[in-house]
Amino acid sequence: MLFPSVEWFSALGQAVNSDAERFRRLGTVDIALVAKIDYPAASRYFEIAFAGYRFLGARELPRLQAAAPGAVVLEGPFETWREMVENIQANGKADLAHTLNTLTLYDTPMRVDAANQLDTDLFYRYQQNLQEFFDSAGKFPTEVAAAEAR
Amino acid sequence: MQRFSQKVQEVLDYAADIRNRGTVDLSWMSANPTGWGARAKPRDDRGLGLEDINQIGGRYGAVPDYGDAHGSMAPRGCEVPANTPSLGCYDINDKSLVWADNVALLYDEAVARQWSSARDIPWDQLKPLPDDLEKAMCQLCTTLTEVEFIAADMPAKWMWRINHDFHEVKCFLATQIADEARHLDVFRKRALANGGGLLKASPANEQILRAIIEAPDYTTASSLMHILAEGFVLTLFRNGEMLALNEVEKKIFRLCMQDEARHVAYGTMHLKYFLEKRPERAEQIHSILAAGEEAIFALTLEPQTAEPRAILAGGGVDRILEGFAKLSYLYTKQVREYLHRLKVAGLDRSTRIAIPIELPN
Repeated sequence: MLFPSVEWFSALGQAVNSDAERFRRLGTVDIALVAKIDYPAASRYFEIAFAGYRFLGARELPRLQAAAPGAVVLEGPFETWREMVENIQANGKADLAHTLNTLTLYDTPMRVDAANQLDTDLFYRYQQNLQEFFDSAGKFPTEVAAAEAR
Repeated sequence: MQRFSQKVQEVLDYAADIRNRGTVDLSWMSANPTGWGARAKPRDDRGLGLEDINQIGGRYGAVPDYGDAHGSMAPRGCEVPANTPSLGCYDINDKSLVWADNVALLYDEAVARQWSSARDIPWDQLKPLPDDLEKAMCQLCTTLTEVEFIAADMPAKWMWRINHDFHEVKCFLATQIADEARHLDVFRKRALANGGGLLKASPANEQILRAIIEAPDYTTASSLMHILAEGFVLTLFRNGEMLALNEVEKKIFRLCMQDEARHVAYGTMHLKYFLEKRPERAEQIHSILAAGEEAIFALTLEPQTAEPRAILAGGGVDRILEGFAKLSYLYTKQVREYLHRLKVAGLDRSTRIAIPIELPN
């Protein structure tokens, strides 16, 4: 599975939906999260959506403005995304230094943004679900695209 | 023959009538005719939520601007007999004093997201830590054990006075009380589970806790607690997750962070609703928040509150100054997020905040 791609994010979502009992225990989650992957000359945007106990789907956006209203943006350079994914692959889940919260708390190397603070707060409100969503990358092999692929 | 009070004898006579003559009342079966036929539907696989019930509208779903004057615990939408006694305690009857447009959804979410400090934390993964780090974590947990239950005591102080027509608010506050019980309990457990213990209480923290518990009305208490204090603690939990020395602390702080963000979401939207209905009260909110800001800022002077995080951020007591430098960025982030939440609520404190937005280097 190639990272980044709609298929890769969808595979994470399938892992959520196929392990329904585990994610049901984490509770409901209602958020549209845009993974913004920054390359030197451009960015790519993948929107992933959750409602209730389910992952609804992933899509690539042509631009950030095409995101769902209230979407929360998780952004960082491609190298950071790659390091996070490779760390999850190596450990089966993010280690202490590579959790979403740790990577974003100081606004570097990743940051969280939204139209208003209450939307940004959704990233904190659903933190365990989002972490376990990305930790699902430890369950299948990933080929990380070369940075120059963009 | 045993003698009973008149009240008990009336019940026995009624039972005798049923037994001997088959006399039954059944008037309740024709009560509330316009309320009959309700068919609330779940919106999706999350099940039938409080918010879904409200979608059926009418007297069940429409939340009145003023709670009914009967003063009893009779549920919203039922027929209330004329002889229903008032309990005499429900004096918060104005919706604007407690309501938030997201409160029913937040209650549904809170119920679905409860966790257990016994079951959901991987306690078996705790390992011995160097003394300075264990003491810093234990002091941080001492402080959090001390402050967390204010967010249970404060709702408990007010919720019994809230009119039952606003049951969504009462139900949400009940979940918050359960959340805070869990937070007190999980931080106490962490302090006592790895060879350390509770360390030093915080007189400075008691100042902000006193301001919350003594606030003159629910909305000022909520602004101080849900937006200012819990907003700051939300960042503290995010900081704790980052500083975590093992998976146990990682998960504790992550799960607490989620609960705290839910409380902040209620407080922000409550203040928004309140100020839309009562804009003339904005100055009073400014005033109480200014006092709260000063009380929170005073915490930075207190060693048992500030130094443990700096030790954890630096990686040891010998690197505490490095830790303080890292924390100053977080302070600014805390203040900015607080101001942004107030902006969502319709209160601009960007030029009136009583404390610095950035700490000096």
